[in-house]
Amino acid sequence: MTKAIRIYEHGGPEVLKWEDVEVGDPGEGEVQLKHTAVGLNFIDCYQRSGLYPIDLPATLGTEAAGIIEAVGPGVKDIEVGQRVAYAGGQSGSYCEARNFPANILVPVPDGIEDQTAAAMMLKGMTAHMLMFKCYAVQPGDTILVHAAAGGVGTIMCQWANALGATVIGTVGSAEKAEKAKARGCHHPVNYSEEDFAERVQEITGGKGVPVVYDSIGKDTYEKSLDCLGSFGTLVTFGNASGPIPAIEPLELMRRGSLAMSRPTLFNYTADHTMRLKAAGALFDVVASGKVKIEIGQTFPLAETAAAHTALESRQTMGSTVLLP
Amino acid sequence: MSIRKTSAIFLRDYGGPEVLKLEETEVGEPGPGEIRLKQTAIGVNFSETHTRKSPGGHHANPLPLILGREAAGVVEAIGPDVEGFEIGQRVAYGLRRQQGAYTECRLVAAHELIAIPDEISDETAAAIMVKGMTACYLVRRTFEVGPGHTILVQAAAGGVGTILCQWAHHLGATVLGTVSSEAKAEHAKAHGCDHPIIYTEEDFSARAREITNGEGVDVVYDAIGKPTWEGSFKSLKPRGLMVNYGWAGGRVTELEPLDLMDWGSITFTKAALTNYANSRENLVSLAEELFEVVASGGVHIEIGQSFALKDASLAHEALETGKTVGSTILIP
Repeated sequence: MTKAIRIYEHGGPEVLKWEDVEVGDPGEGEVQLKHTAVGLNFIDCYQRSGLYPIDLPATLGTEAAGIIEAVGPGVKDIEVGQRVAYAGGQSGSYCEARNFPANILVPVPDGIEDQTAAAMMLKGMTAHMLMFKCYAVQPGDTILVHAAAGGVGTIMCQWANALGATVIGTVGSAEKAEKAKARGCHHPVNYSEEDFAERVQEITGGKGVPVVYDSIGKDTYEKSLDCLGSFGTLVTFGNASGPIPAIEPLELMRRGSLAMSRPTLFNYTADHTMRLKAAGALFDVVASGKVKIEIGQTFPLAETAAAHTALESRQTMGSTVLLP
Repeated sequence: MSIRKTSAIFLRDYGGPEVLKLEETEVGEPGPGEIRLKQTAIGVNFSETHTRKSPGGHHANPLPLILGREAAGVVEAIGPDVEGFEIGQRVAYGLRRQQGAYTECRLVAAHELIAIPDEISDETAAAIMVKGMTACYLVRRTFEVGPGHTILVQAAAGGVGTILCQWAHHLGATVLGTVSSEAKAEHAKAHGCDHPIIYTEEDFSARAREITNGEGVDVVYDAIGKPTWEGSFKSLKPRGLMVNYGWAGGRVTELEPLDLMDWGSITFTKAALTNYANSRENLVSLAEELFEVVASGGVHIEIGQSFALKDASLAHEALETGKTVGSTILIP
């Protein structure tokens, strides 16, 4: 018998129930995992509230770290006692133990703590996808990152520094501008006070940037296009202000043969080799100290509802980790 | 100020091929930044038959108009403030926005001119400037095509398509291409297209998946637009690139960003030579890479027919009745 957080209906944090569950033997290609740390993400709140569809009843959660307790038939290269982490796959990481497909796991190196791994898998793999795959950031590039003080944003700012790029980042307040600056954002732009497109032209001497990473969507995409130099790429990966409406392809040509990329992490991690490579790059940059993962608060897994309340009322700092 | 006589094909009224008539006209001395060019060969492009028929869309030019965007010739006079050219030098140009090539002699901005290497004939240079530089930015700039890549070229037997397929094949890629008939499939196959797909007989994106064992292609090059839009996206593998560089079959006005995600984290770009040749440096590098691949034999240019400049109307008629093979040029 083990414990998990379950939901039977959509609603507020109160729908998250701490319950006994059974975990059977791991099936073909699966391992049994004892979680040591579970990551908390906004997507979990969206699935809980019903904004993102999910079949009920369900256990939420998309990332965690833990130890292999048992190995199912047909599983290779993973052994009992090994430390592993994951992001993605079927949701259900809010639990003490679970069976999970072995091919989605990545081994965690000695230099990375379990809590750090649980806190960074989803956001860190996303940052890797954005800065190495959707557009490969080059030394000397000046890039624009929206929501630079956010979870993915702070990892991107630090990582871009490690790559030798200059970062312009948009933030919503003076306090967040300070936070972004402390994490490697060279030019924080408070969009509630300044026109970020004008600032980008100023900072780049009218050349524009080769890439804009935009998770805000509807409110920012048009000005994001204005920030790009010829052949620039708009990478849109979120809809914090609502989805981007249909765009006119000719607009991309008129502004200098621009490109638009709309990635989702699944397409960059479905392949085992790609996933290991991305995770390896993330672990390396974190182990080197160039990217710091800030765990602002932890909650016992049993008190996940309180963690959701804190996240949704903007009372958290950095990443939040749930401890089984 | 000396004036030089020349003859040019004038378009004074929109209409059939017969409206293209040779007239005597004059060319002045080159102004600052200009060169006077005695032309030796002029490229004819299918799009010029559209311009001849009607004012068209956003590239409308006032009449009277001299058609033509590309030619080769010899430098005859050099204006003030021009460096790097000498009298008698062989040069070529491919313009993006202006016209004016159907003439024996003209003034051209020196920054549009490219020196022609010895290995390339005037006829070849005149035939490839616009189409070849287009193919160049497609396979070398929007995406660096190389060994191991699989690409899909829409209209593989067309002017740009024929060069694009050969070039991509030369770079080591596997080339799939759509064509409308068996005859065009043969033409495409002879010009670097490993897998011609006759789209009038089969669903091209289903066939593209079949050829790639279900994986899809790395890049699609599409200048058709509306009729091929969704099929092109559906031919791509996850994380693939869709390059649109024209609307020959109709313009698409809406792209849903979330569709790009649903089709597998696709990147879309709307590319144009105007942008890729937006500086002297970029223009020269496109032209030089083009001349190099043609000189090396990696891309073979077939001049199917040449007409005297005065017979430009016959050239248009041949193009419009599908009687041409390969490139068509006019000789002044």
